[in-house]
Amino acid sequence: MSTPEGVTISRTGETGAFGGELLSVNFGPHHPSTHGVLRLIVDLDGEQVRSVKPVIGYLHTGIEKQMEALRWQQGVVVTDRHDYLSPPINNLAYALAVERLLGIDVPPRAKALRVIMSELTRLSSHLVWMGTSGLELGAMSMLMYCFRERDTILDMNEEISGFRMHTSYIRPGGVMADATPRFLEMLDAFVRAMPGHVDEYEDLLTMNPIWRSRTIGIGKLSADDAKVLGATGPMLRGSGVAWDLRKAIPYSGYENYDFDVATSDLCDCYGRYLVRIKEMREAVKILRQALDKLPDGPVNVDDRKILPPPREELETSMEAVIHHFKLFTEGYSVPAGDVYVAVESGRGENGCYVVSDGTHKPRRVKFRSASFVNLQALERMALNHMIADLIAIIGTADAVLGDVDR
Amino acid sequence: MPTIWSSNEASARATRGSRLSALKDDGYRLLVFLTCVDHLLDASRNWPARYELVYELRNMETPEHLRVRAFIDGDPPRVESVHDLFPPANWEERETYDMFGVKFTGHPDLTRILMPDDWVGYPLRRDYPVGGEVVEFSEEHETWQTAPEKA
Repeated sequence: MSTPEGVTISRTGETGAFGGELLSVNFGPHHPSTHGVLRLIVDLDGEQVRSVKPVIGYLHTGIEKQMEALRWQQGVVVTDRHDYLSPPINNLAYALAVERLLGIDVPPRAKALRVIMSELTRLSSHLVWMGTSGLELGAMSMLMYCFRERDTILDMNEEISGFRMHTSYIRPGGVMADATPRFLEMLDAFVRAMPGHVDEYEDLLTMNPIWRSRTIGIGKLSADDAKVLGATGPMLRGSGVAWDLRKAIPYSGYENYDFDVATSDLCDCYGRYLVRIKEMREAVKILRQALDKLPDGPVNVDDRKILPPPREELETSMEAVIHHFKLFTEGYSVPAGDVYVAVESGRGENGCYVVSDGTHKPRRVKFRSASFVNLQALERMALNHMIADLIAIIGTADAVLGDVDR
Repeated sequence: MPTIWSSNEASARATRGSRLSALKDDGYRLLVFLTCVDHLLDASRNWPARYELVYELRNMETPEHLRVRAFIDGDPPRVESVHDLFPPANWEERETYDMFGVKFTGHPDLTRILMPDDWVGYPLRRDYPVGGEVVEFSEEHETWQTAPEKA
C-alpha cells in the first residue's frame, strides 16, 4: 500500500464492524487542517473513526514558567502570545487578576476601551475561524472576505497600540494609551459597515449546500456532554446552553451593555457556526453602544506606584524621577494572595489564576485555556464519523494550539 | 471566595474521596481548572507543605466559585485522581504531573502531555532553573543562561 508522505499507518490486528481490519493512522502534526501543530492518532474502521487520541505539546513554549521570571508589568507581553488570535482578551484576564490583588479599579473610560478591544478581538478571531474553516470545507473564497475585515481590525489595533497583532494594549492599571480621534473614526466606519459584511458571509455560507452538507449533523455534542466535558464558548452555546461569562460573571462593565447570548440547539458543527455568526452581530452591537457611551476622563489609575508618571513630569519633579526609576528597575510588589479571573474569549473561558508571594514577580501564573479543555471533547464529537468529517469537527472546535500548549 | 483548606496528605486523600464528590452533589459540577503551586522557599505565609493543589469548582446555576486546596509533600507527591468525578481533570492532571511531578493515583494514562516523553525533571517546580536547557545559538549569549536558583 502506498501512503502519502508524512502519514504512518499501523495495523492494530483488531477487526472492525465491517469485517475489515482496524488501522491506526497518524494524523498530523503538520496537517493543514489542524490550525497549528496538533497530532491525532486515529483508529479507522474503513473510513469511520473509532477512536481519536490527540497528542499535544508541539507548541509548548513554557509561558507559565516565563511569567515567573518576569516582573508583574512585563508579564502582559507574554499573555499576548499564548492565544495568539485574541491577545487583548488575554491581557484583560491577566490585568483584571493583578488589579484584584492590588485592590484597584480602573477608570470608566479604560473599562469601555477594554470592552471595545475585547469585542474587536472576538470579531477578528471568529473571522480567522470562518475563513480557515471555509477553506477546509470547500468554500475557498471565504478566506478572502474574512481576512479583508480582519485586516481593518488589525489596522485599528495598529492605530490604538502601535502593534497589529500582539498589542499588549490592556495592562494592569488601565490601558496603554487613550484612543486617538482617528481610531474612533475608524471604529465608527467599521461598526457601520460590519453588519453588511456579516450578511455577505451568511450569503456565502448559511444556505450553501456544500457547507450545509459538510456541517449539519456532523460532530454532535449534546448539552449534557458539553457540560460534563467542561466545554465553554461556542462549543457549549452551540449545544444550546446559554452560558456566557460576560452575562454570568460580568467583568469590565459588561453588565452595562445590552446584548444577547447566542445559542443554537443544533448541537453540531452547523450550530457552532450559527453561534459564531450571531456572536459577530452581537459584538457589533456592543461596539456601537461602547462607542456611543464612551465616557471621558483618564484611561489609567492615578497611582505612581503602579504606572509610570507622564514624561513631562520627569523634568520638573524629583518624586516622578524616583517613581520612574523604581518602576523600571524593580517594578511593583503585589500583596500576597491568589485570585482567579475568567473572561470570555472567542473560544470560551480563558482565565488567569495568579498567585503572589508579595514580591515583584508572580509566584505562579496558570492560564486556564478554553482550547485545552475544549479539545478533550474532540473524541466524543468525532466518534463514528467519516475521517473527512474530522476536519470539520477540528475546525469548529476552534482550538488555537498556542493556547493549548502554552 | 469561599475556600476549603485541607492541610496534609491524609486529608488530601479525603478531599477527593468525600469532599469533592459531596461538593459535586451540591451543584459544583464544573472543574474550571486544576493546578499546582510550588511554595518552595516562600516566606510570605506559613505553608503546611511544599505543594498546593488547587481545584477551582463552579456551580453553573448560581454561578458561585469554590476553591479547594490540598497541601501535599513527598517525593514524588501523591494524590488521588479525580478524572472520574470531573472528566476535564484528565488532561489537567497529566499537565500537573508533567510540570510538577505530582503523581495522581488511579489516573488511566498518567504520561507527559506538553513536554517530550523522555524529558527529565519537572519544569514548573521552583528549583528547576530558568534557562537551564541549552537553546540553539545561546552559547554566545551567556546572560540567557541564568544560574539555577539556590534551593
